[in-house]
Amino acid sequence: NSSSITFNQTLPFKMAAARRLKRVAVSQPGFLGLKSNVKPSELVSSRRKRVNKNKKKNWNRHSDIHDVEDFLEDIRHQERTTGGLLSEKPDDSLFFLDVGQTDKAGNEGKASLVSPVTAYQQPNAKKLRRIAQKAEQLAAKGVLPRRQRRLLSRRPAEKTVKKAEANNNPDRDFYAMWGEEKVTDSADPWYLQQTGKKLVQRPEKLNQKPSVLPAVEVIAPGGSYNPDFLSHQALLQEAHDVEVQKQKQEDKLQRQLAFRKEDRATEVQTIISAVAACLYEDEDEAAAPNEDEADSALGAIAVAAKKTERQRKKEKAEKMKTQQQQASRRQTERQQQLFQLRSIKSSIKQQELQTKARRMKRKARQEAQKALPRRLGKLKYAQDLEVQLSDELAASLRQLKPEGSVLKDRFKSLQKRNLIEPRERAKFKRRLKVKYVEKRAFRQIT
Amino acid sequence: MGGTQKKKFERGSATNYITRNRARKKLQLSLPDFRRLCILKGIYPHEPKHKKKVNKGSTAPRTFYLLKDIRFLLHEPIVAKFREYKIFVRKLRKAYGKTEWSAVERLKENKPTYKLDHIIKERYPSFIDALRDIDDALCMCFLFSTFARTGKCHVQTIQLCRRLTVEWMNYVIASRSLRKVFVSIKGMYYQAEVMGQLITWLVPYQFSHDHPTDVDYRVMATFTELYTTLLGFVNFRLYHSLNLVYPPKLDIKAESELKGENEDEYAMDSESYPEKLAALSASLARVVSTAEEEDAQLDAFPTEEEDLEKVEAREKEQMQLETQKKIFEGLKFFLNREVPRESLAFVIRCFGGEVSWDRSVCIGSTYDATDETITHQIVDRPNVDKSYINRYYIQPQWVYDCVNAKVLLPVEDYFLGVTLPPHLSPFVEEKDGDYVPPEKLKIMALQRGEKPAQEQDDDDDDDDDEEEENDEDDDEEDEEQNEDDEDEAEEKNLKEMEKQKSQGKSLQVKVTPGKMKMENPVRLEQEEKAEEKRLAIMMMKKKEKYLYDKIMFGKKRKIREANKLAAKRKAFDDTEKAKKKKTKN
Repeated sequence: NSSSITFNQTLPFKMAAARRLKRVAVSQPGFLGLKSNVKPSELVSSRRKRVNKNKKKNWNRHSDIHDVEDFLEDIRHQERTTGGLLSEKPDDSLFFLDVGQTDKAGNEGKASLVSPVTAYQQPNAKKLRRIAQKAEQLAAKGVLPRRQRRLLSRRPAEKTVKKAEANNNPDRDFYAMWGEEKVTDSADPWYLQQTGKKLVQRPEKLNQKPSVLPAVEVIAPGGSYNPDFLSHQALLQEAHDVEVQKQKQEDKLQRQLAFRKEDRATEVQTIISAVAACLYEDEDEAAAPNEDEADSALGAIAVAAKKTERQRKKEKAEKMKTQQQQASRRQTERQQQLFQLRSIKSSIKQQELQTKARRMKRKARQEAQKALPRRLGKLKYAQDLEVQLSDELAASLRQLKPEGSVLKDRFKSLQKRNLIEPRERAKFKRRLKVKYVEKRAFRQIT
Repeated sequence: MGGTQKKKFERGSATNYITRNRARKKLQLSLPDFRRLCILKGIYPHEPKHKKKVNKGSTAPRTFYLLKDIRFLLHEPIVAKFREYKIFVRKLRKAYGKTEWSAVERLKENKPTYKLDHIIKERYPSFIDALRDIDDALCMCFLFSTFARTGKCHVQTIQLCRRLTVEWMNYVIASRSLRKVFVSIKGMYYQAEVMGQLITWLVPYQFSHDHPTDVDYRVMATFTELYTTLLGFVNFRLYHSLNLVYPPKLDIKAESELKGENEDEYAMDSESYPEKLAALSASLARVVSTAEEEDAQLDAFPTEEEDLEKVEAREKEQMQLETQKKIFEGLKFFLNREVPRESLAFVIRCFGGEVSWDRSVCIGSTYDATDETITHQIVDRPNVDKSYINRYYIQPQWVYDCVNAKVLLPVEDYFLGVTLPPHLSPFVEEKDGDYVPPEKLKIMALQRGEKPAQEQDDDDDDDDDEEEENDEDDDEEDEEQNEDDEDEAEEKNLKEMEKQKSQGKSLQVKVTPGKMKMENPVRLEQEEKAEEKRLAIMMMKKKEKYLYDKIMFGKKRKIREANKLAAKRKAFDDTEKAKKKKTKN
């Protein structure tokens, strides 16, 4: 065994290469490894390298040929050092028979220095013996030595770190959250704030609800499983009105999208006749319009003629006159207003009343809007009514077939109360076109 | 005139709002995470008043948040947890892809989690705040607890919801706080009064789910996540307010009663205890065991005379409530297997009744159908095989109607095979002058303690209806009477005079013994009041008179409409009856 160790140490390889060699040696069935105490499972590393193997270049680069090389190297090494492969050598050349120490030349110096008797003597044998006896006695009594006791008394390190449990753990426990207010921590609030350990206080405004609607809106009395006749009729009427409204909108859209009757393609015969008529008319009237155009052009030039001095003066005077007239009229009107004070007052009062009424109206509208769903995104909120027709009503509770879904009702309620915006499910969009390819096997058949 | 030109959209509303996408980027979260964060923290989108200004000139519809809200979100410690979770998912996916199973296991063991306790505390600083928002939480938990465990959401969430709802129902039973029940086509509406708050919740029917596709499950699951935490803490507080043990434990006595021989047929040992709790058939253990609940007396404060009436009314109401809480006390129910067990057991136990069911239906049955002391058996099928003479066989609607009417209704209308009276919504409150369906009038009469003739003949029924309609007519006339009373009185006087005169003509001179003129004090008082009213109307200013007339006209119109509806109803009933007769013949 000792010889093999020394042999191993003499190997000129580095560590990594040595590992690889081992792996190869193991994989070779006939090969006798030099170091046998290495388990094969340790050699195969857990990671695999992933490369495309469809190119020859990659084969060269990535396939592991070290093992082969190492194997060959090893063989060469064995040939170099021992003059042939170890496995092929006869046993006589590898092993020898141990017949004890033949030559005493190496031990001569030591033997002369220490006599065989004193070599076995101990200076404190008595003490040691007493200690051993004492230990035996104590062991018989069951008393452990101090060192062992200390070892035993050591508490095992707590390995079980308390794992954070999930929020939806069904066995989670709750505690008194709204008890008497805890006394604030002794730590300095400034320190807590600066180190980010203190939670920022929630603004009061955030606790207001975005809608005045109640969380649970109870269905109309007509929605009972066994409704009163009239309330059921009322609910049906409501649902009917909604449907009619929808239908109306749809019809309106259809009407707007419909093309006009005049745009309909006319029959071929009528077209031909019309076109022919047009052609003949054109020929008759071809010459006439040219003259008209020339006349109108001359008129336009004539208007732009220069005014005489007299004309200008006259215009100016007229202008002054009208201005004076207007000013005097305004003056008299203002004087007259003195006598109209009462009517003016009343008109002002009326105006004020009007603004007040408008203000009231606006306020009422704002109040009403608080209960309405707001426009929070692309889509508008759309309500749907659950109704069972008269012939769908169940005769007994056992035969009742529930209408609508509570899940949807809750979802819609959240939307109605402006807690979430109405959304549509995202549509699947294909980014790349799908190319149609006929499979070869399929093509061969057809 | 100098200075730099003001830039657009750098002040005012444009800077107060932020679009969703920008907010998301600011927080460095993905859209689902951002949505989750907003829901958990209670931050909702806003509709700005001037959209075009906020949207920097564009009119494209966008979702806006208030910038200050988003800034507030930046401080939330959960944001860091979200990022951690994102990285965890990435690592896990990588490990899966590389088929490194040990790494997968290690990662799963150290999955980042977060708690919402601090958010609950922050959003609901006091218990009453939490209680006011519990409607939503209850609806969500009841809804999620009925889901099948098929991967639409986490199984653990479903289990937690189930546990919390069972705790809630047990609390409502123990505190007897249920007030109204409404069986609708959508689900069952319950209303309870807990610590002075009216709490309404909707429970879906069992096994009724077709999962709608246009509902975002992720959003709903996030809401549920928040609400389960909220409901848990609220339950804890409520249980402690009643001295009940939390988490709930069955009473020792009840537990021994429930010990069946073949428990393991229903559930595994670990599951049988929660199942027993969920059966709702036994009472809960208390911290301090009190044999009898002490009925808290209202403290009587010395009050001024004005409030005396109010106090009396309140006391009367209190008395009524006490009696209502005990309407099923002393009754023993047995549920057949075709009726909704949980709902009925819950309602009956809320009002003090005893309830049991067949052994094979559910765990926790306390007596069999053969028990002689059963008073009511609830059946929902055309006929029963074996009937006992000392119990009523009734349809389930009776229980709900009794609860809503606050009295025990006559059982005859709810026997097997009888056409049931309509199940009226208890959530409708009619103002005076509104149309009231005849069935409700009947119930109201019962509440007042009047006993209608209950000989069950069709004709008698007819009479009843007519009487009620007459009543209505009377009501209607009352209004007019107030005004016309004076005239009538005068007319009467005149008539009497005439009579006297005519008597005088016959010349039968006779001395008759004098009759004591009986003065009806009530009548007199009424007349006086009417007179006062008439005078007050006369003294009105023109403007006020106009308003008064308008109001009176409105009232009359309402009554007219109600009458029309009543007539319609009568016509409908008549046709129904005629049809029935035809079919009989």
